[in-house]
Amino acid sequence: MEELLKWKEQMRSTKKNRITDKITQHIFLGTALLSASFIFIVVGIIFVQGIRPFVTDNQGLGSVNLWSFLTGDVWLIGATFASNLYSVGFIIVSTLFIALLSLLVSFPIGVLTALFIAKVAPKPLAKILRTVIETLAAIPSIVYGLFGAGIILQVVYDVSALFGYQSKGGNSIISVVLVLALMTIPTITAISEVAIRSVDKTIEHGSLALGASNTQTNFKVVLASAKSGIFTAAILGIGRTLGEATAVSLVAGGRRAGISFDIFDTTSTLTTIMLEGLKETTGLDYDIRFSVGLVLMAVILLTNLLLNSVKKRVGSVHVR
Amino acid sequence: MFDNLKKRKLSDGFMQALTYLSSTVSLVTLLLIFGFIISKGSSFLNLNLITENYESQGFVADLYAGYELCDCNASGEYLEDGFYSKKWGIALVDSTDLLGKNVVEVLYVHQDSPFQQLHDKGIGTDPIKMKTDYDIIRIAFESHATALSRHGAAQMIEYLNANDSIREIEFQTAGGGIKGSLITTLYLIGLTLLFALPIGVGAAIYLNEYAKPTKSTKIIRSLIETLTGVPSIIYGLMGLAIFVPLTVSLTNATGGNIISGAMTLAVILLPIIIRTTEESLKVVPDEYRQASLALGASKTQTTFQVVLPSAIPGIMTATLLAIGRIVGESAALVFAIGTAIKDDITLTGKSTSLAVHIWAMMTDEPANIELSATIAIIIVLITILLNIIIKIISTRYLKRKLGSAYE
Repeated sequence: MEELLKWKEQMRSTKKNRITDKITQHIFLGTALLSASFIFIVVGIIFVQGIRPFVTDNQGLGSVNLWSFLTGDVWLIGATFASNLYSVGFIIVSTLFIALLSLLVSFPIGVLTALFIAKVAPKPLAKILRTVIETLAAIPSIVYGLFGAGIILQVVYDVSALFGYQSKGGNSIISVVLVLALMTIPTITAISEVAIRSVDKTIEHGSLALGASNTQTNFKVVLASAKSGIFTAAILGIGRTLGEATAVSLVAGGRRAGISFDIFDTTSTLTTIMLEGLKETTGLDYDIRFSVGLVLMAVILLTNLLLNSVKKRVGSVHVR
Repeated sequence: MFDNLKKRKLSDGFMQALTYLSSTVSLVTLLLIFGFIISKGSSFLNLNLITENYESQGFVADLYAGYELCDCNASGEYLEDGFYSKKWGIALVDSTDLLGKNVVEVLYVHQDSPFQQLHDKGIGTDPIKMKTDYDIIRIAFESHATALSRHGAAQMIEYLNANDSIREIEFQTAGGGIKGSLITTLYLIGLTLLFALPIGVGAAIYLNEYAKPTKSTKIIRSLIETLTGVPSIIYGLMGLAIFVPLTVSLTNATGGNIISGAMTLAVILLPIIIRTTEESLKVVPDEYRQASLALGASKTQTTFQVVLPSAIPGIMTATLLAIGRIVGESAALVFAIGTAIKDDITLTGKSTSLAVHIWAMMTDEPANIELSATIAIIIVLITILLNIIIKIISTRYLKRKLGSAYE
């Protein structure tokens, strides 16, 4: 009798356990689904708000023409000029131009630093440099922006004065490029270093056995074998470049019209133009920021797709 | 043959030099950044900075009837640094305040000085006390020219010595402090973790402990991973469009506030917390789970009492990474909280974090580089400290893991 009671008790607790197990599992599933759903919320809300300027008449200003928005070269603030002539065509161009230039600076430096840390440097030096890179990676972007505004602007101003330019306090494409390049070097270095160090030793040994010098092996064999990982570093670097906002806004200077490839000229990027209309709370001036956000997401997505397809092609080529 | 070797040596040397040169760039950058923020910002770096309000508070006061002039002797250092009035028991010095303006600062007030008790001519009724670090704007006398701060401390003391009474004195608290933004940042850290940790850790537990390797699990994983690629300014826009209206309708907030900022940051941090926690769950040996289940514990008990405690170092790492990101985040918060620098902080009121404080001051005219650099020092110190702690945790944890494996 007693045993039966005990058994019943046990069964009951097992049943209870099973129910709590089910409940906890569903709670955990809920948190996972919630986390996964945020990407839809982000994209959805930017999309819904971002297409408003194109489909409503913006409180009498008239709807913005999508084609001229994407291709035009004038950014007129709606309320001030009572116009709907917002366009980001020239800003898209300058954003991509800046991203490309900053990658041209940061990519070789980052990869060579990674090679130095992984293969060339004596161990203690490599350790110090790794700490330097980690520290640089941890410094928040606003501090890079402050550094840019305090030092780089001054240097650019002085250098441009040497060439006879009158740059606007140093606010220019080249300042933005330098700030962004400094910011992305640690990212590129860290990822490239992992890629370089994971290169199979036998490939290196093969190259050395064939009579190549250490340096030749490093540059012609190791770097080539780590190509895929290094490319990933470049993709991440360009992603950070395109999305960076506050640091860039401190050195860009702001440009409202016309494409300019003059590196001493002021500029705007998609992110800085979003920050400019900060004080607006209603109407077209408010909504247009979401449209720019939509364009920014599209630009980042397309760049990533393009680079990834290039990576697939380049990465599959074997070492020669 | 030898010619070729020579050529190779030359080109090898050149290539090698290139790698050395590239590495110098990072080193120089770090040194330049540190040098810049320290040289510009260290002069403001003291305790006043974090206890002081940003807006200075002004007072107009006079003396209570029946005050007594003192004949206070003070030790010599006040005479050396500034100017001391024996009669009034006060030492003044020319200085610059946190905002970089030239002011006459109170260096010392003797305990018997008549300035120890002043009558507030404004709305306040309590007697006010002159304290060190206050800035004196002007002192007006009954029948003497008024002493103004722009004429310097020496003249002010000279005028004070020439008079036995004052008509009124105007002064202000120092101002330019970052107390408000510091408190906001701390609130943000607390609230964001409160939102993000349960959801993030829960999702990590689901993905590692419960989910079967099906296609839908893979989709959930990649959706969460996609969040890391979204730039933070886009999150800021999302916070502006969802969380700000949400908090405005639920609370008495009128615009961006700490809660909406924390919610936005929580979304940004989710993928980081989930990934780091999952990594630490992965290294919990399966034997632990099997042993617990074999002893009759339910799956829930196993998860909470066996798996989670083993994953605590990973969760701590995730928390520290999250704090670092919160302290440094600026673009998202510009939209999700706003850029108003405030001193009285409420959860639903306007305020701003340290990083945005820098941005707000740098986009203002004229830009305040000195105070920005001071805040930058604080932010960089915090992030470096966090990094060191993370390293200590992970190496200790690794050692313990390896140690137990060898036993």
